[in-house]
Amino acid sequence: MTADTIGRGGVRRGGRALPPAVSTDKLPESRRRRFRWQPAWLFMAPSLLILGVFVIWPILVSFWYSLHNWTIGATDQPWVGLGNYVTLFKDPQFWNALGNTLEFTVASVILLVVLGFLTAVALMGEGLVSRIFRSTYFFPTIVSLTSIGLVWKFMLDPSIGLVAGITQFFGAAPIGWLQSTTLALPAVIFVAVWKNVGFTMIIFLAGLKGVPQERYEAAQLDGANRRQLVRYVTLPSIRPTILFATIILTIQSLQVFDLVYVMTGGGPIFTTDTLVTQIFRDGFVNFQTGYASAISWVLFAVIMAISAILLRVFRYNDVD
Amino acid sequence: MKRKIPLIIGTVGVMLALAACSGASPSGQSGGKVTLTVWTGFTGGDRPGYAQIVKDFNASQSKIKVVMDVEPWDTIQQKLPSAWLTGQGPDLAAPSSDPNVIAQYVKTNSVLPITDTGSGASQIDVSNIAPALIKEFTYSNKLYAVPANYATLSLYYNKTEFAAAGIATAPTTLAEFQADAQKLTLGGGTKQYGLALADNATIQMWPILQWMSGGDIVDATGCSVLQTPAGQNSLKTWSDLVVNNKIAPVGLTGAEADSLFSAGKAAMEMNGPWAAPGFKSAGINLGIAKIPVGVSGPVTLGSTAPLAISAKTKYPQQAQQFLAYYTSKAVQKKFSLATGFPPIRTDLATDPQLLADPIISVFASQVADARLYLPHLTNATQVDANGYVPLIGQITRGKSVATQTAAIAKTINALTGCSS
Repeated sequence: MTADTIGRGGVRRGGRALPPAVSTDKLPESRRRRFRWQPAWLFMAPSLLILGVFVIWPILVSFWYSLHNWTIGATDQPWVGLGNYVTLFKDPQFWNALGNTLEFTVASVILLVVLGFLTAVALMGEGLVSRIFRSTYFFPTIVSLTSIGLVWKFMLDPSIGLVAGITQFFGAAPIGWLQSTTLALPAVIFVAVWKNVGFTMIIFLAGLKGVPQERYEAAQLDGANRRQLVRYVTLPSIRPTILFATIILTIQSLQVFDLVYVMTGGGPIFTTDTLVTQIFRDGFVNFQTGYASAISWVLFAVIMAISAILLRVFRYNDVD
Repeated sequence: MKRKIPLIIGTVGVMLALAACSGASPSGQSGGKVTLTVWTGFTGGDRPGYAQIVKDFNASQSKIKVVMDVEPWDTIQQKLPSAWLTGQGPDLAAPSSDPNVIAQYVKTNSVLPITDTGSGASQIDVSNIAPALIKEFTYSNKLYAVPANYATLSLYYNKTEFAAAGIATAPTTLAEFQADAQKLTLGGGTKQYGLALADNATIQMWPILQWMSGGDIVDATGCSVLQTPAGQNSLKTWSDLVVNNKIAPVGLTGAEADSLFSAGKAAMEMNGPWAAPGFKSAGINLGIAKIPVGVSGPVTLGSTAPLAISAKTKYPQQAQQFLAYYTSKAVQKKFSLATGFPPIRTDLATDPQLLADPIISVFASQVADARLYLPHLTNATQVDANGYVPLIGQITRGKSVATQTAAIAKTINALTGCSS
């Protein structure tokens, strides 16, 4: 028997299983071929090495840090076990940051998915106007968050900003959007949505263009109206697209940092503080690396949990 | 073996590629000349002054070359701890604009004690540097940094707006200051504010108002005094002026306060010498005066940034030689004239050329009355971020001073380890 006759899992292509519980070191040379070095590993090595050194290793080390009262450079790194996790669950700043992060995520993801879908539906055509609008909406996506944050911060300035100028022109008092404890977070959410709606639109456009025209024709023959076409044809057909967009946007939103840091720095009075701005502050300003690592792991757990929920919610009946 | 040759070649290639990517420090020795790297966050109007010191030092001798890398303070804060830990960092650095941060680097043994002190030409003349600054950077009787600069805060005012309000001169007393701030506020702040007053991401302005009014943040033992009658009164007067009289907008960062003053939308601002070039270029009819005298006499904020040597530098002697040059009398005089900063040296306090300069003289004349912000206080950075800044944010939004100071006092005491 040659190796070519053995399929994956050690099952003969003919369907008959191999004899069970055979020690590997006693296998004939031909049976051990699947364990030998493959040239593919060589091609993957650079990526694996970089991934290992710069992603996997730091992730593992950060967990180790989180179990210590770790300070970069200190000679003594006291072991605290789960102490950092216990502390953060009693820390009102952590709960405040978690609440802000979830509020930002829920609001921005819902707005982005809805607006992205509607924009994509409206701009599906291939005419010149549609193309121009699509490019215009997509433009903020390619600009850095820092630049966008700075520009909007300036525009929303209640004393010298454009928005205040417009409101004053119409006789209204200027509003301190980013200085208000109630308006700062909605203002940041608005800017995040403004920046990302073009990206979401493109994802939905790709999904919508992939829906076979025959489904619409069949539904129309069955007497479906426009609303029913969307409800029973379009939305089920682009369910993978909705899932993809929702998960990507959720993960991005849960990790929001740049925009908040530039626009409000987490203020006023921590009303826009998010988990990542707290991680930055505790890790790099207060030098509490262990504590910041613990928050990072909680954020990781939150992202995993929410992603799992989304996968469950959006799954096909029994397909995936 | 033949099969393994590609694997070996590939592995070596990847290792070489990674080695080439590593951020090795450019400091080193070539041709008998030592190169020292310095990281600083001096990105403001004073930046050319520091660059000139480096340029002059490099021209003054042939054995050491200093390369200064200027990046935002945030970036330095992120990179420096690990860079110094791994020996990949610069030979010298100004780790932060917050002088208290040096305590953390001392705690982690990241900075080198400065030992080459004395009155010799190539020594750091500690005896002629302002004692408060030396004390700020001294831990366990060892000096760990020299002051990269020393600034006091003065009162910038818009002469045109003062004239329009019928005010002839800048305020000189606390009462005049408060009265002028109200008089200069037009339309409840919609047209013009009396004062551009930042409370976050800024050089500290509120402590000056408190000190002027007889209050303080912590006592000598590190315990909060914000909740005491004096502490509350010092805050209440000013928060009432902000909340009720709208003399200043709420929640400004330092940059926003500067923009407000530069745009002519505020008549006064307390700030350091670095702000003068920006205000002038904005076309403000600028006046600079001392901070008005408070109830207990003249007072202002003193601000300094530490310049320290890495504990892992290969060239500690050369690094200290650079610091000796940096803090020398002639260099500091030139720096003051170029930037408007008061000199860090006490033997330049009466220098006729500096006294004749209209900007430097105002800032320098307040050195004796200047106080550092939370000097040598345990967890000073957190006391500021988690205690004082949120407190000001709350009371300027109308929250009760008594309630807020009582709550924040607990936070501060927990951070400082105050047990009384």
